[in-house]
Amino acid sequence: MSELLANLALGFSVAASPYNIGFCLLGALVGTLVGVLPGIGTVATVAMLLPITFGLPPVGALIMLAGIYYGAQYGGSTTSVLVNIPGEATSVITCLDGHQMARQGRAGAALSIAAIGSFFAGCVSTVLVAALGVPLTSIALLFGPAEYFSLMLLGLIFAVVLAKGSVLKSVAMVVTGLLLSMVGSDLETGAGRMTFDIAELSDGIGFTNVAMGLFGFAEIIRNLEMSQESRDIVKGKIKGLMPTRQDLIDSSGAIARGTILGSLLGILPGGGAVVASFAAYTFEKRISKHPERFGRGAIQGVAAPESANNAAAQTSFIPLLTLGIPPNAVMALMVGAMTIHGIVPGPQVMTKQPELFWGMIASMWLGNLMLVVINLPLVGVWVSLLRVPYRLLYPSIIVFCCIGIYSINNSPTDVVIAAIFGLFGYWLNKHDFEPAPLVLAFVLGPLMEENLRRAMLIARGDATVFITRPISAGLIAVAVALLVIAALPMIRKRREEVFVE
Amino acid sequence: MSEGVRTPPSRGGFRFKVRGPREFYGGLALIGLAIIAIWTSGDLPGTHGFAFGPGTAPRLFAGLLAIVGALVALTGLLFDGTPIERYAVRGPAWVILAILAFAGMIRGINAGPIHIPPLGLVPSTFTAFIVSIFGSTEMRWVESLIAAVVMTAFCVALFVYLLQLPFQLWPWI
Repeated sequence: MSELLANLALGFSVAASPYNIGFCLLGALVGTLVGVLPGIGTVATVAMLLPITFGLPPVGALIMLAGIYYGAQYGGSTTSVLVNIPGEATSVITCLDGHQMARQGRAGAALSIAAIGSFFAGCVSTVLVAALGVPLTSIALLFGPAEYFSLMLLGLIFAVVLAKGSVLKSVAMVVTGLLLSMVGSDLETGAGRMTFDIAELSDGIGFTNVAMGLFGFAEIIRNLEMSQESRDIVKGKIKGLMPTRQDLIDSSGAIARGTILGSLLGILPGGGAVVASFAAYTFEKRISKHPERFGRGAIQGVAAPESANNAAAQTSFIPLLTLGIPPNAVMALMVGAMTIHGIVPGPQVMTKQPELFWGMIASMWLGNLMLVVINLPLVGVWVSLLRVPYRLLYPSIIVFCCIGIYSINNSPTDVVIAAIFGLFGYWLNKHDFEPAPLVLAFVLGPLMEENLRRAMLIARGDATVFITRPISAGLIAVAVALLVIAALPMIRKRREEVFVE
Repeated sequence: MSEGVRTPPSRGGFRFKVRGPREFYGGLALIGLAIIAIWTSGDLPGTHGFAFGPGTAPRLFAGLLAIVGALVALTGLLFDGTPIERYAVRGPAWVILAILAFAGMIRGINAGPIHIPPLGLVPSTFTAFIVSIFGSTEMRWVESLIAAVVMTAFCVALFVYLLQLPFQLWPWI
């Protein structure tokens, strides 16, 4: 315990340095700014703002990126409440009750409960990250290649199970992601694989290009297709920002439950903030004495998902920082950012660069505090931002993304690749394929291949190594069980459909 | 890939009918992707003794994709699904054109018949903005031009002056 406190003290001494506080504030502010804009999600926001952090020192850059991440998350909820268009996928569910509250003239209360819930969740999950960091890192030392492979397999299965829609189609997306991640030079022999003799592809397809294409450009193309109906922005001045006593009493339980649920789902590889917010809302509605109030402006319907998504956003740093495995697309971008700064994510970060590890954790708490402090007074600014028409917004996003992608490697080819993935994402959408599992698989693909090859080599070609080593066998058993549980209802439903005819 | 909305024709001789076009054509396309992958990674050396070769994993995943793709396509034959929405042309075309214009202009192209000199950040950003505006049906000239100028200035200020990233600004510097 005293060690934990000492570590946190070190963290706060790093995070509270004037420069780092500045980066944290800037990140949270810019993240909120972009997060507020409708039609651009967390992944695209982080990818878009990645180049901004290039020139910074590593600690500052990561603190700022983390700030962008939870800022974007918070900004999304502001849009949900005020316009009924989710700014982010994580706040889709917040629209339901948040916007109803706004219509009843309680926009201020909805926004402040979202902020308070997020802050509470942020505090709890920051402690959780700090507390779980050390034990999980020691577990990581027990992991060999076989265990790593099985763990990543489990992560992908989680992504499949938690994704919307058909399990089979999510599996298809995972395999597509794995296959696409194979493009580029072979790790051991350097042989070009599926590069079509294009020099730029010999380093593989850049993850940022894929993320920007699938989540940025594809999203814009899709939005353009929808009728540009006038946005239902809450009119008039937002007053009464402080929630009443009754609001606080009503939402306290929901905040606590949302935090717990979100923290758990965030740690799981393949989970993340989106799933957490949906799960928390559903749970809250199920246990409520008045489920009929949900969808009509129930404050619990805002408090629970907002707490959950913030908790999950933070605890998803745990697998990244301790095991070196990114559990979702945003964390995959963090891997990219770390690599650019010469940091290899994994258990050694904590021992070799304690000031980076603990500084980032401490900055998360500071960042959450700043979100509460800066966002409530700035609501007016965000509202005016929401009045920018989409016909001017989307060209701005496009050029900003183009410059961002280009600046990473000074490569026009990367921009073209992102454009191709934009079209691919549009196509996926038309066929009800979810891009999220694809992206996670794309990130984990090279890591999985590396560990698979090593494990097989160490076991002298004996594939049973994955089920004879206890930890690995346990992970695989969980993965199989999950897949079966997820597939069963689908099969049963399908069978019923067949029998109906 | 633009199947559009297709009502399954009841041609004679066609014994099966596409019930879930999203799944059926989606699955077929994935099989196509797998075939391309198998074809391009075909000449890579495979497993050698206990060791994976460079070609092992790509062919493994491509094979897997072909199987899963086939299963997805099969569900499209067996179960009723939603018809495929129409593909829009205007939005995607202008957006992609804008992105390609940026990519082509920023450093220039010297490939085959196309020669574009490196034009730099300012013209590329401005052009990409203007081109992408055509993707929407609601464009207005004056407003768009002002927005394009403002956005270009903002990007130059942010990326070049504030972040100090190495960009060529104009065709001549």
